Amino acid sequence: MQKIENEVWERIHNGDISAFEELYDGFAKVMFSLSIEILGDRWEAEEVIQDIFSILWKKPEAYSPAKGKFSSWLLVLTRNRSIDRYRSRKRRLDRGETDEILSSRPDQMDKNGAEKATASDEHEHLHRAFTHLPEEQRRVIELSYFKGMNQQEIAKRLDLSLGTVKSRTRLAIEKLRNSLSTLRL
Amino acid sequence: MDTLTQKALDYTLGVLPKEESLLFEAMLEENDEARNSLAQAQEDCANLALSSKPKSLGKEVRSRILENCQPSLCFDSFLSSESIQKLHRNFSRQDERYQGGGGCVPLKEIQSLQVQDELYQLYEDLLVLSPLVAGDSNAAAGDMSGLQKVLHKSPSFSQSVDSLLSHSIEDDRPVAQSVQRSLLSSMPSLSFFSDRLKGDSFAMGDVRRLFYLCRDQLKIMRASFGDIDPPRLVEDEKLRLHSAGLLKTKWWGAEHAYFSSQGKVRCGHFFDGPVTERCVEFAEYDANMYCLANLLSPRSANGEFHMELIKDAVPDCILAIAKAETKKEKHEEIEEIVHGINPLNPPFQNDQVLWNLIEESMTRAHQHASLSELREACLFGCQRMENSTYLWFAWPAIENAHDGAEA
Repeated sequence: MQKIENEVWERIHNGDISAFEELYDGFAKVMFSLSIEILGDRWEAEEVIQDIFSILWKKPEAYSPAKGKFSSWLLVLTRNRSIDRYRSRKRRLDRGETDEILSSRPDQMDKNGAEKATASDEHEHLHRAFTHLPEEQRRVIELSYFKGMNQQEIAKRLDLSLGTVKSRTRLAIEKLRNSLSTLRL
Repeated sequence: MDTLTQKALDYTLGVLPKEESLLFEAMLEENDEARNSLAQAQEDCANLALSSKPKSLGKEVRSRILENCQPSLCFDSFLSSESIQKLHRNFSRQDERYQGGGGCVPLKEIQSLQVQDELYQLYEDLLVLSPLVAGDSNAAAGDMSGLQKVLHKSPSFSQSVDSLLSHSIEDDRPVAQSVQRSLLSSMPSLSFFSDRLKGDSFAMGDVRRLFYLCRDQLKIMRASFGDIDPPRLVEDEKLRLHSAGLLKTKWWGAEHAYFSSQGKVRCGHFFDGPVTERCVEFAEYDANMYCLANLLSPRSANGEFHMELIKDAVPDCILAIAKAETKKEKHEEIEEIVHGINPLNPPFQNDQVLWNLIEESMTRAHQHASLSELREACLFGCQRMENSTYLWFAWPAIENAHDGAEA
């Protein structure tokens, strides 16, 4: 898998647009799902995806195989850029700005809309595994991974010791890792 | 979790303090164990990414992204043309940079009470529309019922614009220009997309386009009429850098409409960095960009036109350029408008207004010179090169980014 991914990146590096299309078709949806989960805003999530693909095409050297698996790197980049936007929006709201759009937006909205979810087995499996994590572990992961809080902030927010935050994070990550390895058997 | 694993995870999540991040990066250079820990942390985070609810991306996002892979159009010959060389020789930094707000008048200064009321109602209707097309709206998730219900209300946005344009505005020039800016810059395109979203033949990209147009139109109206929404105007007047990226996002691969004509926008040269210092300045800049697009889009020979922002081709200046392939007679129409020949010619009266709005804005942005001096110095203009028409205006660049927050 890693070999195939690196080969796609090599081709993009050489300006092969069909490799770029392959990458988009293979990864854009999962990147978008992650970004919209963090931001709760379709247009902002689209902007994140556009920016990342734009960087990949114009500066493919931003990635190198030394940075680990290409797909993992892409998702880390998507997550970190989405978190940056989320924080920047939060700062604006904290400053009391009265943007007509921002002020109408709750922190994260649950939609009953006509979103049609189609997903790969892996994606669906992990989503299910995540929702089945014990509440206290899921909460820690939500705050750290989807809201960008560091462990001290989480400890303060949930009134827990730093050690508890660390152990819950570890347990949750291990459970998700095991869940995926079961699927891949 | 051992220290190295924890560090790798914190580094991946971007929560490792800066100094520790630097130390960890140094470890990565020479330590296999650190590299393995990082690879594992990235994979764990990728698993977490896959736990998010699956959502579909629209086809238009794919085409926008692939369009960005096309080679950028070459503007070298335009930038080395006599007009731009003249601009190069004449453009100078001003001691005090214009920060917008100069085109603002009170709504109550409009003589006609009916026009006042209709403009105020239009602003209120747009405030209602905004959250319905935002990225977290039901419409953005594919459920159009709430949005369509509001859009089917009478009068429609196009009817409001038609009604307002039917009044003869005989107020003094700044008042008339505020009305015209509010009706002829982003509003025609907004009306077009709101009409299209009422029916069945729309794309998800139309909701997104309407969102940007709505946001821009509200800001343009606030920057035009100081008393239409004072609390939000206070926010718009705060120092807050607005980057070229905001404009690129909006124009990149967009469909644009000016009344009944439609065009496709292409971009390739937007620089990275701030364009304006306050929202009120951004609103004015935005209105000027819409005016360029509205003038050129209906005259494009192939339905496409370019919108570009180029910095440093002329020192201290940001050049906004609109370019399209045009037939000779269409270029001549634009030239007549730009040179103010036959300004009351009925078919092009609104087009003449568009160009005048840009000219007036330029006199505010470059207060050291008269309109004729600015025209002579090529701070804005029109020229034809190889079957294409170029329109441009030059805006003072921001020298040093101040401490103001970023929009």
